[in-house]
Amino acid sequence: MTQSLFEKVWNAHVVEQLPGGNALLFVDRIVAHEITTPQGALEIQQRYGDELFDKKRIVAMNDHVSPAKDTETAIQAKLLREWAKRHGITLYDIGDNGICHVIAPERGHIEPGMTVICGDSHTCTLGAFGAFALGIGTTVQTGAMLSGCVVLERPKVMRITIDGRLGHGATAKDLALYVISTLTFKGATGYAIEYRGEAIDAFSMDERMTLCNMAVEAGATTAMIAPDETTFSYLRGRENQPKGEAFEANVAHWRTLRSDSDARYEKDVTLDASELRPMVSWGTNPGESVPLDGRVPADANEKSLEYMGLARGDALRALPIDQAFIGSCTNSRLADLRAAGEVLRGRKVSVPTIITPGSQAVKRAAEKEGLHDVFQDAGALWTHSSCGPCLGMSMGVVAPGSRCISSSNRNFPGRMGAGGRVHLASPVVVAASAILGRIASPEELGAEVAGQRA
Amino acid sequence: MVLEGNVLPVDRANVDTDQVIPAFLLTGITSVGLGVHLFKGMPGGLDLLAAHPDASIVVTRENFGCGSSREHAAWALADRGFRAVVAPSFARIFQENAYNNGVAPIVVDAGEIDALMAAPSLKIDLEAETIATSDARVITFALDPLRKRFLLEGGYLDFLANKRDAVRSWLSRSGSTVE
Repeated sequence: MTQSLFEKVWNAHVVEQLPGGNALLFVDRIVAHEITTPQGALEIQQRYGDELFDKKRIVAMNDHVSPAKDTETAIQAKLLREWAKRHGITLYDIGDNGICHVIAPERGHIEPGMTVICGDSHTCTLGAFGAFALGIGTTVQTGAMLSGCVVLERPKVMRITIDGRLGHGATAKDLALYVISTLTFKGATGYAIEYRGEAIDAFSMDERMTLCNMAVEAGATTAMIAPDETTFSYLRGRENQPKGEAFEANVAHWRTLRSDSDARYEKDVTLDASELRPMVSWGTNPGESVPLDGRVPADANEKSLEYMGLARGDALRALPIDQAFIGSCTNSRLADLRAAGEVLRGRKVSVPTIITPGSQAVKRAAEKEGLHDVFQDAGALWTHSSCGPCLGMSMGVVAPGSRCISSSNRNFPGRMGAGGRVHLASPVVVAASAILGRIASPEELGAEVAGQRA
Repeated sequence: MVLEGNVLPVDRANVDTDQVIPAFLLTGITSVGLGVHLFKGMPGGLDLLAAHPDASIVVTRENFGCGSSREHAAWALADRGFRAVVAPSFARIFQENAYNNGVAPIVVDAGEIDALMAAPSLKIDLEAETIATSDARVITFALDPLRKRFLLEGGYLDFLANKRDAVRSWLSRSGSTVE
């Protein structure tokens, strides 16, 4: 029987078929953070004798607001800490933590072929490893902590082939925005995406994670990329991975996790990367994005225009900005920081600029390369790792009517603060815009952009 | 189970869960009491609620509940007394969360929304899967047959708790162990 990558992973985890196209699906890894886990931990304690199905499949981290900003978030962190300690669950905490979708793979907890859940919609990031990884609500996470399983309707599969290679200063983030603007904000709802093609093969794991991260912004359940030598090299020798023959035996299995040549897909899309240019969002969802040189479309949604203070036909380039942010689970890994560093090196930002690494390990690695000096010499704030300004939950809130260019994933109304306006772009476009105080591409600075693909 | 209630017309597409309840309000450790924060992130949201103080059915446009996985969105709706959201489409995670919290995610044809939004009240039969409009029309919809049970009776966690032995046998057949 021919199978797609998704089908291979799905079929290997179905414990039972349930009515309505649902399955009882076994979960290999539960990633638990402080905002959505304590409620479920308390419920299991109160109703089910504090019994977890399999604690070794759970990893926890305080990540969304860490360190805590107030008494309530301190209580969330304390509950997660106590729960993890009581059950002997691995916990990444202040000093050694980071964004869940950055730290879980970085510490070797994510492998090809796994099923992974986390109470965060951007869990699709981890599909970059050939895992079936999806965001879920607290009740579904709690159910998995209790039983090892989720109830899930089998998604359809959409294959997206990216022909050609990226050039012209375009990055994985620009490809993500291009895919979403092509499919539309809800165009992949009900689908698991499989990304393949020349551009994907050439991507590093950091770039693959950036691309898969935003699949949910097209409504997709997840995105997956078949594991290859890039994946195996990332995992080989990593913390929490077996060594030597045991690891190589896993690799032999992982090599089978590719779609069969005659696998069937409910939808098949082919896009050409070679003409892709840097993208920027103009509206209030990531699908409302255009090339940086583009204009607000003629058919733009009235409510989006009103919120963003824009009119149809307005040029995006040269739009003045008030703040810049580089970070989030989309673009806070070392490759992103290096690329931003190439733009910022020897230059000065002209608007308040916040740069937030995705984990403390990323922070340390960046500092070994001197990137903290590059950023701080440029006048940017270099923070500890966290979700940071992306969701307006702790620091870096954008004032009403102010415009922030951001390497994050959501430009929803109020996302980074009530009335704040967010333009999504790649780290290099954010860096160039921070310097010029307006939406700009690095080309305007004549920068040699690291990570740019010929 | 029949819901009879007044309509909150949310005339926007793509109402994401940040609009339903912004992230800075996700600092609690329980699912109760969030109704006071409902639609605080939606432009004009609080005024809309004030104009429809006794509404219990949201009627809205496509892709409701997109974005963040926060179950707080479903908790806030339920806590405020909402029992159904009627829309042409939902984001997956919100739809699951709604089923698990007694808020019916009801999908109807986009062409029906204008009329439903204009209706002051609706009568929704969740068992029969029908909506009766004030002009005596009946619109049918389909709920997920398994999740309908969770919607009407609760029990998602008990359902899974009762599967634990089956899951352990399945695992042992694959040679895996649990701790």
